[in-house]
Formats: sequence, C-alpha cells, structure tokens
Amino acid sequence: MSSTEPSQNKTWELSLYELHRTPQEVITDATEIAVSPRSLHSELMCPICLDMLKKTMTTKECLHRFCSDCIITALRSGNKECPTCRKKLVSKRSLRPDPNFDLLISKIYPSRDEYEAHQERLINKLNMSHSQASLVNSITEGIKLQSQNRPQRSRKNQDETSASNSSGNAEPAQNGNSSIPKDSPSTGNPTPSGGQSTSNPASVRSTPSPVPSNLSSISKNTSITKRAKSILTSERSEESESSDGRTEGENSMDTEGEGEPLNPNEIELVFKPHPTEMAGDNQLMRALRDSSVRYLKTTANASVDHLSKYLAMRLTLDLDAELPEAYRLLNFCIYVAPAPGQFVPLAGSQTLRQINDKFWKVNKPLEMYYSWKKT
Amino acid sequence: MAQNINPHYSSSSNPEKQNEGTIKLKDNHAVSKRLQKELMELMRCADKGISAFPESENLFKWIGTINGPLETVYAGHKYKLSLEFPNSYPYAPPVVKFVTPCFHPNVDTCGLICLDILKDKWTALYDVRTVLLSIQSLLAEPNTQSPLNQQASYLWPNQPAYKKYLDEFYNKHKDS
Repeated sequence: MSSTEPSQNKTWELSLYELHRTPQEVITDATEIAVSPRSLHSELMCPICLDMLKKTMTTKECLHRFCSDCIITALRSGNKECPTCRKKLVSKRSLRPDPNFDLLISKIYPSRDEYEAHQERLINKLNMSHSQASLVNSITEGIKLQSQNRPQRSRKNQDETSASNSSGNAEPAQNGNSSIPKDSPSTGNPTPSGGQSTSNPASVRSTPSPVPSNLSSISKNTSITKRAKSILTSERSEESESSDGRTEGENSMDTEGEGEPLNPNEIELVFKPHPTEMAGDNQLMRALRDSSVRYLKTTANASVDHLSKYLAMRLTLDLDAELPEAYRLLNFCIYVAPAPGQFVPLAGSQTLRQINDKFWKVNKPLEMYYSWKKT
Repeated sequence: MAQNINPHYSSSSNPEKQNEGTIKLKDNHAVSKRLQKELMELMRCADKGISAFPESENLFKWIGTINGPLETVYAGHKYKLSLEFPNSYPYAPPVVKFVTPCFHPNVDTCGLICLDILKDKWTALYDVRTVLLSIQSLLAEPNTQSPLNQQASYLWPNQPAYKKYLDEFYNKHKDS
C-alpha cells in the first residue's frame, strides 16, 4: 500500500487482512518460484476486454488495473466509478500509467505481438465463418475442387457437359435424403468456443443455409446430388450395367463413382453413442437420454477433431446441471461403422470427406459412434 | 469445367457480400473478440444451473438458460432467456429478456427484467455469466418494493400460495 503520491491526509480503506498482513520476504538468492500460467493470466488480464493488459492504467485509489483504452472508454460511457469495485473515479486523473506492469508483461511474453497477430487471424477467420461471405467462399472452394478433379475423369467421359443433365435425375435421391431430421437450428457454430479451430469450411453450419437461392441451387443440383447419386450408382453399377437404357449422363456418373466419390460440399451424418463402450457409463447415458443420437449436416472439410469439439460443447450445453463436475469437458473417441458391429476408431485429423471415401460408400448419412474417453 | 460456375455469382453477388462482411467485421471486432472469450470461458468451466450459447451464427445474440435456484419456489423450473449485445458492449449492458414466461415480481409479461445491474448499475466487468447468475438470484430474492408484476409481488409473502400459482403458471407456459 505504498504510494508515491503525497497521501499524508488520505485515509485508506483497508480490510482487516490488509491491515494485518506481513509483507512477503524479498527473494535475493537464486530461488525460483513456479507460478501456473492460469493464475498468472488472471493477473495480467484486463477485466474489460479480457485480453492481456495493454498500456496498463491503474486506479490511484483502489489499485485496479485496466488497459488504457478500455478504462477511458468505460469512464466516458458510463458511471464515473471503478468498473471493478465501484470506487469513485472522477476523471482520467484518478488513473496513473503503470509502465512497470507493462514491462513485466513484456518480460513474461516477449513474443506478444506475434501471439496477438495469431489471435487476430484466428478471430478473423471465426468471424468470417459467421458471415455469408464465408459460405460463398466455401462453396467456391468446393466448386474449384470439383473442377480440379474433373479433367482426370474426362478421359472416360466423352461429353463432359452431359453431366449437368443428370441433375434432374439425381433429384429424387436427394429428396429421399432430406427427410432425415437435421440438428436443430440452434446448433450454432462450434468454432467460437473451440477457439482453436481455424478453417472456416470446417464450421458445423446449421440448416437452413442462408445462401441466396441461386447459389444453393448450384451446389445442390450440380455437386451434392450428383455426387450422392454417383456414390449410389457405383454401388449398383452391375445392376445398371445390365440395363440398356442408360443415358450419357448416367454413364458419366458411373465413371465418377469408380474414381473418387467425393462430396465436396456437405455430408450428413448420424452420431450415436458407442453401444458397448458407452453402455457401462450409466450416469452419462442417463443424463444424455434422448439427446444421445444426433443428426448433423456439415461441410466435408470438417475433421474428427472438429466433431469431438462440437460434441463436447453440445452435450455440456444440453446437460448443464444434470452432469456432475467430473463429466464436464468430455473427450471423445469417434468411430465409424462400415459394417454392423464393426467400429473403426478415427484419427483427429481425418476429414469427413476422407472418412466418407474410405468407409462409407452408400448413399445414406454417414453413421458414426462416439464414446467418452476417461483420460 | 465451366458449367459449374454461375456467371452471376462469380461476377456480381460475391464481391458485394464480401465487402459487407468486412465492414461489419471492423466495427464489431473488439466486441466479438470479447464475446468469443466469454463463450470460451463459459464452455471451459460451466456453472451449475446456468448456460448460454449464441443463438445462431450471430455472436451478438445468445440464448441462456437458468435453472430455478434450489430450495426456493423456483426449484425445478428451467427458464430460457435471450441476450442481445449492443455494439457498445461491454460498456453498455446486453438486453436480457425471459423467453420462457416467468411469473416473478420483477419480470413483466413481455419477459422484461427490472434489475439495476442491467441498467444504471451496469459495469464493463459484468458478463454473460454474472448476468445470468444475478438473474438467478433475483428469482430467489425479488424486490417487491418496485414490482413490474403487481400480482406476483402481492402473492410473494404467502410462499405456499405463491408456489402453487407459480407451478401452474410454469407448467402452462413452459413450452410456449
């Protein structure tokens, strides 16, 4: 409670603890004290922007710290009081800069600028994924990918443009699919809290999509449905081979199916608890009840890591008070079931597209299973 | 290759959309940054009895839930609230409303809440978590001196009667 200010006639409002505490001994030898980054974080953080303190200002009376910009905005826009403790703050003059604290932060985090630039990029990407523009971008990307794959196939295709004819044929297949219940519109986006997820195509987007109709019709008619159909037809190629009345369009789809059955934009999937591994977990299963099975539609670029993050968040959110503390922050192991009773665990970096290509070649939603990892 | 690119889309609509996006992004950058951090923190250590999540992809509108505080007439009830954040957040409070109809002395029939920290007593240090916790404790300790709901205020001193009415009200409206 020492102050360089002339404070002779000031009465400090000290708590009992503050009146009776003894100062910490100054460390003069080589003793090192380990401090956890988390406890440090709360000390170095501005409580207004929740970021690391920048140009620290300290209130003269109550000694609370804020970023210069934050506290000045707060004083200008609100009550003339300390945001932390409501002590009267008359003006900027009730604050003093705290260069020592800034120095301390720059000692602890010498690469702060780098860190901030990185954070900035992350947040920009997250924000982008919130906007329609990102959706348009991801569709563009999908279309690009598709057209990149096309030349390889055109060796087999005599007339590439005939593929577009197939969109009409493929429609029923898509309609059959769309009867599958989608995850509720409140699904939201897993990226905000994940924070780490970087690519906007990987965001789990809730339906219906806000794309203008002309755009969605591109993706629906020419990419999703056709691909979906092509996957279907590759399964039944023998059957259709025997029938003579094949159009050129179907022909081109068959060859695509044999090549690389990609679905560049979206994949539908059903998420279920792992029947054996989760069966023992009575407490969790009871809490999950009917929300244990989930239907999602997301971009094929989403990875298994994205899915487990999404699951952890979604389940925590749905269960809130019903789960004991130990069950919070769930880690998931995710499996795909290419055949009944067969569960293949998936690596976190695998994308849904890769999984779909490798394990799931039929035209119905990808069936995936999750189990809770106790470690 | 060409048949997949809609000329309308690649020429006109796309650049416009992107411009809109960047302008909005610049204005709300600091606000969304703070909201992101709040969301991360809420997800990391969820409090018992409250939760919140952005309603859709718009980070400025959240849906929160509050469980009625235990050992009060509200125990066992679950209320949904909407939180809308102004561009001046956190220097100005969010607009918080009950979505699930709530019978309470300080909540009106539209779900508006009379709570000082959401008005003149707001400080930039409050966040979604503390707002929801405050509303949760308001449920348990209403201010019957300045009620928005006269009937609830009048009934409050008689807790058994209050509970009876409240339960009927809740069961009738909880799904609406």
